[in-house]
Amino acid sequence: MTARRYIGRAVPRPDAPDKAAGRALYIHDLARPGMLYGKVKFSEHAHARILRIDTSAAERVRGVRAVLTAWNTPELRFGFLRDNLALKRDKVRQFRDEVAAVAAVDPDAAAEAVERIRVEYEPLPGVFSPEEALREGAPLVHETDPQGRPRRDNRVPLRFHHESGDLAAAERASRYVVAGTFSTPRIQQSCMGTAGCIAEFDRRGHLTMWAKTQIPFLAQRDFARALADIGLGDRDVRVVVPTLGGGFGSGLDTHAYEYLAILLAWKTGRPVKIVYTREEEFACLSPRQCAVTRIAQGCDAEGRLTFRRVEVLQDNGAYTSWGATYPSVMMVPVTSLYKVPAVYFDAQLAYTNNTYCQAMRGYGNPEVNWAIESNLDDLARAAGIDPLELRLRNCNEPGEVTPMGLKVGTCGLRECLERTAARLGWRERRAARDGTAGAEPAKRRGIGLASLCHVGGSGRIYRSDASGVVLRLDDFGFVHVLYGGVEMGQGLHSVLTLAVAEALGVRPEKVVIGPTDTANCPWDVGTHASRGAFMACTTVLRAADALRRRIFDLARTVFPAEAEEALRRHRKRNPDDRPPEFDVAAAAARTGAFDLRDGVLFLRDAPPEPWLRLDLARFLRAVHFREGGEMLSAEAFVDPPTQLPDFERGFGNLSAAYAYGTQGAEVEVDLETGEVRVLRLVAVHDVGAVLNAQTLAGQMYGALAQGLGYALYEEVLSEGGRILNPDFRDYKLPTAHEMGMPIELEFVEPNEPAGPFGAKGVGEPGLVPTAPAIANAICDAVGVRLHDLPLRPERVLEALRKRGG
Amino acid sequence: MTAFSYHRPTTLPEAWRLLAAHPGAVLLAGGTDLLVRIRAREIRPPAVVSLRRIPVLAGATVERGGGLRIGAATPVADLLRHPAVVRRYPLLAQALRVMASPQIRNVATLGGNLCNASPCADTAPPLLAYEARVVLERARGRRELPLETFFLGPGETARRPGEILTAVRLPAPPPGARVLFHKQRRVHLDLALASVAVLLQFRGSTCRRARIAAGSVGPTPLRLREVERLIEGRVVTPELAAQAGALAARSVSPIDDLRATAAWRRTIVEVRLRRAILELAGLSPEGGAS
Repeated sequence: MTARRYIGRAVPRPDAPDKAAGRALYIHDLARPGMLYGKVKFSEHAHARILRIDTSAAERVRGVRAVLTAWNTPELRFGFLRDNLALKRDKVRQFRDEVAAVAAVDPDAAAEAVERIRVEYEPLPGVFSPEEALREGAPLVHETDPQGRPRRDNRVPLRFHHESGDLAAAERASRYVVAGTFSTPRIQQSCMGTAGCIAEFDRRGHLTMWAKTQIPFLAQRDFARALADIGLGDRDVRVVVPTLGGGFGSGLDTHAYEYLAILLAWKTGRPVKIVYTREEEFACLSPRQCAVTRIAQGCDAEGRLTFRRVEVLQDNGAYTSWGATYPSVMMVPVTSLYKVPAVYFDAQLAYTNNTYCQAMRGYGNPEVNWAIESNLDDLARAAGIDPLELRLRNCNEPGEVTPMGLKVGTCGLRECLERTAARLGWRERRAARDGTAGAEPAKRRGIGLASLCHVGGSGRIYRSDASGVVLRLDDFGFVHVLYGGVEMGQGLHSVLTLAVAEALGVRPEKVVIGPTDTANCPWDVGTHASRGAFMACTTVLRAADALRRRIFDLARTVFPAEAEEALRRHRKRNPDDRPPEFDVAAAAARTGAFDLRDGVLFLRDAPPEPWLRLDLARFLRAVHFREGGEMLSAEAFVDPPTQLPDFERGFGNLSAAYAYGTQGAEVEVDLETGEVRVLRLVAVHDVGAVLNAQTLAGQMYGALAQGLGYALYEEVLSEGGRILNPDFRDYKLPTAHEMGMPIELEFVEPNEPAGPFGAKGVGEPGLVPTAPAIANAICDAVGVRLHDLPLRPERVLEALRKRGG
Repeated sequence: MTAFSYHRPTTLPEAWRLLAAHPGAVLLAGGTDLLVRIRAREIRPPAVVSLRRIPVLAGATVERGGGLRIGAATPVADLLRHPAVVRRYPLLAQALRVMASPQIRNVATLGGNLCNASPCADTAPPLLAYEARVVLERARGRRELPLETFFLGPGETARRPGEILTAVRLPAPPPGARVLFHKQRRVHLDLALASVAVLLQFRGSTCRRARIAAGSVGPTPLRLREVERLIEGRVVTPELAAQAGALAARSVSPIDDLRATAAWRRTIVEVRLRRAILELAGLSPEGGAS
């Protein structure tokens, strides 16, 4: 293969100038003629029967065009298990439940009207933890399932289970066994752009939705189903995705506010926009699920892992989103991070009267990785083996088939571990001491590391795992790209641009990415599972290959005539020049004669004469403007070789490739206040191959910031189902100041054969092992094991005092 | 946001007339607290009277006798550019630098921060340590109070209806004072979970004068007089610093809330005050508790 011209370089993103200049159009910026503003009336109870809703005062507010409740609208049922309703009728099951919706000519009138809606409730006892919810006789969150059959308990009817190897024998054969219980909090995706949509019907009843989504085509299907429930079953639904101010998994489901916008638009005949305020986003959009993980791991005298037992209990909240399938991804690290011969995994989700949860970057992996990698350090300590050595002895290998049936292609984990350790000065420092003194006597420093594995070659969690692309060439040599995946700030368009430039042979400036719109783009399952770049490049490679073949085919007839014309012009301008003799027709007739690079079509073995180099735009016009002319385009639709696992048995090759990585941290712990300062972060990731070095670094820095937030600061606090910190005043994200420590990034590039240009997906891995790396460093510094995220100073101090006393 | 009438007087008498004419009117200086509350519909004032165009309320001037008079509507960022503040009142400058974000500091004012009367107001502890006084004026009459008696409780001050906080007056700074402000935060942009402002004047290793205040550990910002008395006139040693920290932890009355626990806030006051005293005394902080 010839040297790459664009892939692998550090290239600025095409969407950056408009975003930096405030020119990009987010949902907040969009308006439609005659548009109304929608606003939602949320529940004031975590669990209560709705007795009466009085909307008369709201209807009298000037400018109000519609007030909807479950009593005057068709029932719209939605959600992963279809257990949620756009408007609640009989009872509310969480504080954010939608009981009414208003559309008005301006946002103030809508807010005024919502305040004037009076709802009478009969409060019911609620359940606010999964343990409470699963207790015998606990109040039922749902008395019936979506089909109306009575439910006996609060178990969410989803089963995720895996068993492999002889667990009992393995436990007996273990020389060392360490068990622990680890918890992770609810956290918010914290998108800079809050959620919102515009719903608009045309006069024929066709619906256009401008939606902040990561799944335009699954959303299209959801909305079409809603139209059927309204009685518009045969109408078209078009989903248009505006510029997204972040997704992080919050766009993997359709949301009640979207159905309410549809209902309000249908009722009023006007476009309706609903955009959440920051407080609404915090209180009324679903966060990442919290999880409690009970883990035990064992090893033999030599430090070979013997077994791993993991049981997860998750708080689903009141309704079920795609996020309920986190355990499908948890299985990947549980069964396959390091070589473990016997594995037991079981996950249970419980309905509660807490806010219902949804997907977030990492999708279950950070939750169990926190338990696995923290517990592994404890096992190393118990066995008297260095934590790095323990990991190296059990390191995954290329070509391995894991207990879950994951077919590992390339695997750079060993290198990730070694390079992280080298950067931390691991062997020298761990040998030398047992926690080093900090800058001041009341402070201690330590180092720690943790690894991950994750899907790196898409991930089949739906019947289709496909993506498609259309490449369309215009008369000016521009390539118009229609892709159904979503740019949400992660850099998808930069990778698409480079992939098209590289694979087709044009300059990146000639690549134009079209808007994500179900009316134009090929179907796409969604931008999740770190699959954006992987699938974009895979489809582009295929479409570009078809285009190149068509171009070269046409060139056999078009090129010689164009070259002759170019030569004539050349001679006219340079009468004294004696161009070398070259039989263009003969050369063009040979197979594989042509190449296209940087937008120039040429014969591979021709002399480097300007008249033998044909500008692509000129060639395209020659092909177009002639009798029987044609325009060139190519479409590729790829469903990758991934398997939809049997989640009840926990078996199946979920992804076409697997990503690995190791992160290291150096911390300083204040013994008197419990404060933890991260002095240094190291992240070494097996990315297959680098696509755009700049975008990749951006992905990693962003993920590390989220990883740091997960480790130290972030938590959605709630009491009796009510969210206590629905704002950035009290939901703390790391700031630039907290990210000011030196961050060392390094990439291992084993060139994955299943990956486009050798690459694997990297969207999620960067935040997975950050928290355990930091906690392991804390343990190294002060000798205490922390089990609950976030590692707030109070918790650290309490652990220190317990150890001390 | 609910509708209100908006007034922009250019003189104080005009402002008082507007306040009298619009019962329930509220005063706006920087608006960084007020507008948030109006937008959240926590308050619905019928009228808002802006103090932003009244020249006498802006700027800081050195007074005869060496004190400083700061107009109540002076933005924090302006104070940080004022040489007298930065050079002569470094404890205040330290607090202003860690208050909110640069954008907020551009509009938030000193008077607004005090009138909002949050126990975690960043400017309060240093001003208490400097023994600042506040000037309250109404159409007929003017009074001056020590800042310490201005705060009555969370969100409550001694300001009466019709009164405008026009200025904050700081006495001449104690010569040679060493100062340290510590703000305990979760992340860099945060409200104080606990704060201590320490001003010590030494003769040799003897502390001649101590002025110590704390924020976010009581219903109002607190001046810790008992701790001051403990230190004053004594040679500062690690033991004395530890005693001072422990006494401070006993003197404050923090609450548990979602930002931090009361117990941890006490610990922070104890540890941070001890360390501050040691640092100002030129002693290296001693070893940890565990």
